[in-house]
Parts: sequence; structure tokens; C-alpha cells
Amino acid sequence: MQQRSTLRQRLIAILVTGVGATAAAAISFGVTVYEAAHPRAVPVVPAGEPIDTGRWNITFQAAHSGPVPPTGVEPSESKKFVLVEFDATNLSAATGFVSPTLFTVDPPVPNLPAPVFYLARDKWIASGLNPSMPERMIAVWEWPQALALPETLRLTVGSQIYKRRDNLYGASSWFDRDPIAVVELPVSRDGAR
Amino acid sequence: MMSRFREIAAVFLVAAILYGMQRTTPLYSEITSLVPAYGEQGKRIDARAFAFAVVNVHLARMVRTESFGRTQDFTTSGVWVLIEGAAEAKRESLTLTTANWLGPSGISYALSQRFSILPGLLPNQRLEPGLPKPVLLAFEVPESEVSGATLLVPRNYMTPLDEEIRMPVTNIDTNAIHAAITLKRSTVGLPWILETE
Repeated sequence: MQQRSTLRQRLIAILVTGVGATAAAAISFGVTVYEAAHPRAVPVVPAGEPIDTGRWNITFQAAHSGPVPPTGVEPSESKKFVLVEFDATNLSAATGFVSPTLFTVDPPVPNLPAPVFYLARDKWIASGLNPSMPERMIAVWEWPQALALPETLRLTVGSQIYKRRDNLYGASSWFDRDPIAVVELPVSRDGAR
Repeated sequence: MMSRFREIAAVFLVAAILYGMQRTTPLYSEITSLVPAYGEQGKRIDARAFAFAVVNVHLARMVRTESFGRTQDFTTSGVWVLIEGAAEAKRESLTLTTANWLGPSGISYALSQRFSILPGLLPNQRLEPGLPKPVLLAFEVPESEVSGATLLVPRNYMTPLDEEIRMPVTNIDTNAIHAAITLKRSTVGLPWILETE
């Protein structure tokens, strides 16, 4: 530095950074508002077609409803179940559980408990799924008694991304992202009595 | 003119240093990762809080469990790896809740919980200091991940910087995959009976 910067130079520097920061904030805000006003259309995927959610590859097969859970043992107290069969492949590098928020009923049903995932192979509640070992799974919702069983089920499938370093701890983990697909399944009624 | 050039060069140098530091910073999972305690198959492997040893490794296409008169078949799209071993706590009672099968491709397979009610399974055994107990581990892995794998046994996966036993699985006969292995409850000796078919 040959000489100290003049007041004029400092003012210009402050002005430039101020205008730049304001412009950046305004553009970011504008993009957010625009995206909220024009949501990206989520594609409707037919049953039987694979959906790559990032962490999982899932293929919906069929939906049915009835009084019997996949264990085949009817509960003593009569209950209504909605069952969705799907194939799931773990695309990550470690054993993982299927998250109850992987797909959700759309529109949301009030007082609907989270689904329980069954492993079709065992007809029992699934534990973690191993990487690249596809399994047939059954998602089971215990439908509220007060509500009629649905004729069709519309499911919104979420997506996940892997971050090597997350923004908080710098830890590697999977994070939920925007819905990636919508699936509409006809719900067949089995064993109504 | 020269000082101008030097200033710009300094900015680029600093940017390069910052980029290098950003790229080489270890991951959080690496900073807090478990400390490995290496060992050999068939020998006692000591970690600070527990010791572990593998006795037998069996491979099967199906596992059949017989418990309280109920027979259940557990099929798989891969291969079942059943490991008979022993474990002992050293300073305080503990339970080893998890273990991983690290395949040659770097993919890890957690302990199977599909027949979790059977006695003697690793997460069901409460280990006491000075009392070695037999433990049974079951993994479900694709056939390509059987040979060249490493068995990982941490104390549990919630304690960072604790010790983890790492044992390369060297003695495994990948040609002898049994059609089925039956696991039964036992009241004498080992808590299970393992029969191959």
C-alpha cells in the first residue's frame, strides 16, 4: 500500500458491496417466490414401473384392503387394513430401514397412523433391507374405523439425497427432498365379510 | 505495476490454499469413527471393553428355526452367513447390539434381525466380565460378497471413538454352501443346536 485509501474510495467500495448483496438477496427471494408460485409438476407413475428415489428404487405392485394383516392372523378386535405391495431395493452402501415417510397418502387422511412395513418373504415386520438385495415389501396402514376404506389410493413418493457433509455437523447422511412421483393404485377389497 | 501483480497472485494463492483445505478436511464420520482393533479368525481378539472370537463360519441358502414347536423357514435371495463365536465383557456388563459384514466391494451388511427371538444371538446375549459366552451372528449377503469380507464388531454404533473389532474372514469355504441350516433351542451346553443339511 503506497497510500491510505481516500474516503471516496471507501464509500464506493461500501456502495458496491451493498448493492451487490441487495441484488443477490432480491434475486434469491424472487426465485423462491417464483418457484412457490409455479411448482414443478410431479409425474404420475403407473404401478409396475420402477421409481428411483435416490436412496431406494421402488416399484409399486398392487393395493388391497381387508381385515387381515400380512401375518395372516386376523386380530381379535376387528380392524381395517390397507395394504400396498411394492418391491424395494436399497441403493445405498449400508443396511437401512424403509422410512415411514418414503411415501405418503395424498391427500393426508386425518388420524392415520404411520404405516408398518412387512417383509413378504417372512410375512412378518421387516427389519433393515440390505443393499442391492431387492425385497417384496408390504406397507400396511391401519385405517381409522370411522372412515370408509378407499377405492383408490394416491401416494406421493418422496426422494432423498446423500450429502457427504451436511450443513450442520459436516456429517455424511441422507436427507429428504421434494416428492419425485405420484402413484395411483386401485384398492381391491379382499375377504369382506 | 509489480505490487498489483503481487496482490492478485496473493489472492489466487489464498484461494488455492482454502480450496485445498476444504477438499482435504476429514469427514465428521472419520473424525469420530471407531478405533479399529484388528485380529485373526479363530483367535481371541481383544478390545478395551470386550473380547470376541470366531469359532465356525457356515454358509446356507436357507435357515430353518425350530423354537417352542414352531418351525419357520427363512429364505434369502443371497446367502446366509452364520457365525458361531464367543464373546466376553472385560470391565462392566454390556451387550453387543450390532455387527457388520463388510463385503469386498465396501458395502456393509448389518446383522440380520429376521429370527431375532432365537437364544444366543449376539444382541440377545448379556455379557458379563470374565464369563465368556457363546454368541451366534447371522448375516444375509449376496453371494459375491461372501469371500474377502471383514467382520466388524463395535461395542454399539452410538459411541464414537470407541473400539471396533475388525476381523478379515479368511477361513471360509465358499464352495460348501449348505441347502439349509436348522437352528434349534438347546438346554445344555450351547444355547442353540446347529444342524446342516
